[in-house]
Amino acid sequence: MAAEAAFDLHEEGPAQVLALRGDWTVDTIGALEREFAAIGERLNANAVLDVAQLGRVDVAGAYFIDRLFRQGSSGAVSVRGEHANARHLLEAARAAYAAPAAVPAGPPGLAGLLDGIGRIAAGIWDEVVETVGFFGHVLVVLARLVADPRRIRWAPMVHAMEVAGFNAIAIVALLSFFIGMVVAYLGARILGDFGAAVFTVELVAFSVLREFAVVITAVLLAGRTNSAFTAEIGAMKMRQEIDAMNVIGIDPMEALVAPRVIAMLVMTPILTFAAMMAGIVGGVLVCWAELGVSPQMFFARISETVPTQHFWVGMSKAPVFAIVLAVIGCKQGLSVGGDVASLGSRVTTSVVQSIFMIILLDALFALWFLEMDW
Amino acid sequence: MSEAVAIRVRGLVTRFGAQTVHDGLDLDVMRGEILGVVGPSGCGKSVLLREIVGLQAPTAGEISFPYLEAEGREPRVGVMFQDGALFSNLTILENVEAPLREHTRVSSALRSEIAALKLSMAGLGADAHHKKPAQISGGMRKRAAVARALALDPELLFLDEPTAGLDPIAAQNFDMMTRNLARSLGLTVFLVTHDLDTLHAICDRVAVLYGGKVAAIGAIEDIVAKAEGWVLEYFSGPRGRAAGRGAGG
Repeated sequence: MAAEAAFDLHEEGPAQVLALRGDWTVDTIGALEREFAAIGERLNANAVLDVAQLGRVDVAGAYFIDRLFRQGSSGAVSVRGEHANARHLLEAARAAYAAPAAVPAGPPGLAGLLDGIGRIAAGIWDEVVETVGFFGHVLVVLARLVADPRRIRWAPMVHAMEVAGFNAIAIVALLSFFIGMVVAYLGARILGDFGAAVFTVELVAFSVLREFAVVITAVLLAGRTNSAFTAEIGAMKMRQEIDAMNVIGIDPMEALVAPRVIAMLVMTPILTFAAMMAGIVGGVLVCWAELGVSPQMFFARISETVPTQHFWVGMSKAPVFAIVLAVIGCKQGLSVGGDVASLGSRVTTSVVQSIFMIILLDALFALWFLEMDW
Repeated sequence: MSEAVAIRVRGLVTRFGAQTVHDGLDLDVMRGEILGVVGPSGCGKSVLLREIVGLQAPTAGEISFPYLEAEGREPRVGVMFQDGALFSNLTILENVEAPLREHTRVSSALRSEIAALKLSMAGLGADAHHKKPAQISGGMRKRAAVARALALDPELLFLDEPTAGLDPIAAQNFDMMTRNLARSLGLTVFLVTHDLDTLHAICDRVAVLYGGKVAAIGAIEDIVAKAEGWVLEYFSGPRGRAAGRGAGG
């Protein structure tokens, strides 16, 4: 194993001699760094380095030794004693010496904080402008595809439908089923306190049809599908595949973005429908178990008191959410830069932005539908 | 210290399913030499490199590091991968510091100084220190990758296609840098390449991998003189002849 590094500074007549023992390598020098630097003050310019007892030495070790002498004088180190490569490495280390560049620093303190806030605000604004611009671009591409349907790429579109939509049906339905149960429990308990437990049926139907089914679907797709869109397209961007498409004359908007947008537009309403049904079934089960309302009674009451417009209110939001999700997912993917960190941050941004937009749009929809008295 | 063999490979067999890549391969890499490894695409050059550095286990056979083992030291290897494989979220300086940070106890100031020294030895100046790998050119990335491979002062340096994708001048400079570093630091270099100029310019010996074995090994002049079959085709095609003339004249 490596012998521990040691040194000894002594006077021999008029001259100082620094004798080194043991191995001076990158593994051993850490142990005596401080100690060794401390003798720098005592060392005079024409001290002699004795390497006769020196074991193995490497570039880091040579640099470490040379550093001490470099501070004292600019001349070469005078070395005595026989050693296989010490002289050589000392010279190499001196020749290649380069100080690490100072880390570029931003403005300090309060100015730095304000600078940071300003950059973030400007970044958000740029992001909004870019996303709206991208949205417009997508609409143009979709219009072009409608005008010339032969340009639609069916294979990637159907693939996206399967991966992004069909494979998500089970999880969307399961989640919505539980939400339906939760709402029904709440209704049975709280409405029951007012003696209005029978309105639980309406509560479940209204909330699931209008809000929960479509929002649950969209949030799940944001986490599940948007992240996949961003990562797929982002990885292609990093590997210059997008550049290759552009050069070959394949429009990435047509080949990558449009199939995904169309797939989401088709699949989100279907998923929403599945979520509605599952949510209602959850409600039916709880009403049956807790309130003794049989499924026949449940459905009879729904068809009597819940107009179909609630179903359409919920369904009408699905395509809007779909296009927002797909556009954000693809846009973030295309914004990935050259490094891994940007891929991670873009996927995060994609999911956060889409969930934010879904909740925001849903609130606006709620306001609008309320005002329209639908 | 008498042991002169740095890397010893004996009876190496590598199979991927039904495909046999190495079939009883023997190879000795001498201490302090630059060994160029050539062979047709898919002959297992990179696989051999991965097996020697321990990234992949061979199906059968033995790989040892006699002279380091004789001195009772762990073989420490530096590897430069084909595209550099620099950590893209770290700056160039941080990339070179990474192995030091992980394996040594030197202070952060000394660590950056050692990293800067290694970068300077590999021919990269201070202006590149705080850039990300994506912000510098391919040639500079390769240099940074060599600096990182050398960060812990390994005795064994593995280079996978170091000059691929470089312009002839950059490739030549890179070759010179490799040779100077190898000579001044006493490195043993295992160099996988297709670059005939590199073989002529800096390799002490060349090993030709063909048919799962080392088909020929020795100084490039000897190999070219005794070449037959694929080896002849490789070295005496128009590119091989041009590289030979360049090195000779």
